[in-house]
Amino acid sequence: MHPHRRFLFLFACATAGLLAVLRLDAQTGSSPQPHTAWIASGSRQTLPREMVFDNTLGRLGVLNVSGPIDTAGHPFFEPIGSNARACVTCHQPANAMSVSVDSIRERWRATQGRDPIFAAIDGSNNPSLPQDAASSHSLLLNRGLFRVGMPWPPRGITPEFTIELVRDPTGVNRDPVYGLTSATPTVSVFRRPRVAANLKYVTSPDGLFNVKLGVLMDKDPDTGLPSSMNIMADARAASLSVQAQSAYHDHQGGQGPLPRAQLERILEFEKQIYVAQVWDTRGGSLIEQNGPAALGPANVARHEVHVLNGAKTPGFHFFDMWQHTSATPDPQAEFRASVARGNDIFLNRRFWVKDVAHINSIGLANPAKRTCAVCHNAQTSGMDLAPGWVDLGTTNFPTWTESPVWSESSDLPVFKLTCRAAAPPHPFLGRQIYTSDPGRALVTGHCADIGAITMGQFRGLAARAPYFANGSAKDLRELVDYYDRRFDMRLSGQEKQDLINFLGVL
Amino acid sequence: MRVIACGLLALVLIAGDAFVMSAQQSPASARRSFVACPIVRDTRTQPCWLAEYEGELYYLGQQSGVANDFYPPQLRHEALVEGTVGQGRVCGGIPLQPVKVSVMRELTPACSTMLPAEDGIEAPPPIAAPRGPAPSWVKVVAPGDVTLYFDFDNEFFSLHVTVALTNLAKHVAESKASHVEVTGYRAASRLSNGTVLTERDTIASIRARKVADTLAGLGVPTGLITVNAKSQAQPADGVNDPWNRRVEVRVQ
Repeated sequence: MHPHRRFLFLFACATAGLLAVLRLDAQTGSSPQPHTAWIASGSRQTLPREMVFDNTLGRLGVLNVSGPIDTAGHPFFEPIGSNARACVTCHQPANAMSVSVDSIRERWRATQGRDPIFAAIDGSNNPSLPQDAASSHSLLLNRGLFRVGMPWPPRGITPEFTIELVRDPTGVNRDPVYGLTSATPTVSVFRRPRVAANLKYVTSPDGLFNVKLGVLMDKDPDTGLPSSMNIMADARAASLSVQAQSAYHDHQGGQGPLPRAQLERILEFEKQIYVAQVWDTRGGSLIEQNGPAALGPANVARHEVHVLNGAKTPGFHFFDMWQHTSATPDPQAEFRASVARGNDIFLNRRFWVKDVAHINSIGLANPAKRTCAVCHNAQTSGMDLAPGWVDLGTTNFPTWTESPVWSESSDLPVFKLTCRAAAPPHPFLGRQIYTSDPGRALVTGHCADIGAITMGQFRGLAARAPYFANGSAKDLRELVDYYDRRFDMRLSGQEKQDLINFLGVL
Repeated sequence: MRVIACGLLALVLIAGDAFVMSAQQSPASARRSFVACPIVRDTRTQPCWLAEYEGELYYLGQQSGVANDFYPPQLRHEALVEGTVGQGRVCGGIPLQPVKVSVMRELTPACSTMLPAEDGIEAPPPIAAPRGPAPSWVKVVAPGDVTLYFDFDNEFFSLHVTVALTNLAKHVAESKASHVEVTGYRAASRLSNGTVLTERDTIASIRARKVADTLAGLGVPTGLITVNAKSQAQPADGVNDPWNRRVEVRVQ
């Protein structure tokens, strides 16, 4: 048995917090069906080198390239702040080191809302609401969204725009303690936790310049080297170290600096972890010998970083061996052929990419007839090798994912941003923009950045719905449907399913 | 977007000013300068970019990457087109070559024309990215004598400008230079109909400051850098106007 094909199956009894590790042959899938494998903060155990977790499409593999890890006393797993949370609370191995809505709901049910993931500071819609009511956590329970409070204006920056609050369904932006007019003026937006795995791809710097915007990259404050600027949804953290320090304070209620030794252990652990789907309910094992080289965490771990999508280096390597169906009915072969077609659409289907700030505004034409893989150009991860924040349109009216009748119904806050006359406007929305999340603009103060969100990696998608930074796509079909509408791709029903199947096995 | 940038990383320091000279030697009668909505035409290969002026369709260029010299315009924005009239027809339009296309800053939603592909109308073969400095963006007289060009009323650094700045910073370090003089210019553009467009009055200093700050970010000691701004717009003649939208960097 090839070592990559043998995983351990982690079975967790969420209510009792017990873990039982069983062997799994990922190729045959002969295993008991696990429950949600939640790892609670402070639950001390040894996690094996290889783990497998069930999800709705199949099974996710989690690989720790450094071997088994004892979570006892480990700062990624222990509550090191003041609110009983640990890093693992929102970065669960079973959920591809993010956290799914299914897991969050299960935690609410299992703990009657007392799990630290529901901490008032960011696990509720508004810390001032009664915290024992599920309705006070609706954005987390329904869309997997955590509150991100951004100081306004950004420190040391004179913004190019003003912000008016036009709808505040959670009340937090009008809150006297947490809102825009509080003693510490804050804009609250709501975002999904990003994947804390496969990070060599996420942190790989592109060069001295952000080639899209023609400006120098931010630098890692520890090393002085250029950052990838791809870590956070708004690229505000120039390194994993900065992200961890920030999370310690903002999400875990930590006081003072995170001790260096603890920080180093967190970073070391994060860099060891690789996630990818290993089994599909229809396609069978995804990690067979001579199978697609993109699939499974061991392949993700072994590939080179910073490889640009191209004819010889396609974004997710090659699926040729899955292209052909058999003469006789074979559901597995048919599914695999669908995945191969989905990969082909991802690589080769051209469509008009239109009105996307930082894609169509940087010298590439608006519209530009391109493929998915032109923007999602980083081999193996599906991110952008350059800093990946673009205004795809998910957060800005009218292409946003929220209700078009936002004045009557909206889960998220709605802000009206007005660009000052002397400033360059948003390239495709002008000087007055309605948005549910200004994205990168909350960091830079630039009109051109309004709604720009850093694209995330494509790995472990089956384990961590919902999708987009605002959790608006509850499954892969809704994600594909958004692109189809947004860019008038005119995908057929079969083509959509091919793309869904392709994304689902990553 | 790295896919678009590849191939430019090994730029050589050779003056690439044939384009500039060609434009400067063109008589005003052979020039077209106008502001219009761009038009994109689909083809079997790459989309073409066109613009209409006084009832005539002009070909501007085709979709390519940011390593190319030509940066196409954007629908939803008017474009300032400044070019020399060429021969024949390309993609259904009279070619302007060389041509400089500036995206105007404010939105013009009416600029939305997309033409479908038509039999018999094809894009020209792809144009390779320049091996040296792209003439629309950079002129290198010597490693320490470099001029950077900009779109109208804009301070955006094209990929070519970022490469030139990287090379300049390297040259400053290697030559142990004692002084770097950065001079920004403001320009105007005389259109074919006689109208003169003038850039905003702060653009010279914005460009110069951005260049100086970037050089400093690349390691050039700030004490070596002098920043000048020529805020009086350079006179517009309808021929050389694109080359007045510039920043000169002189290393001593």
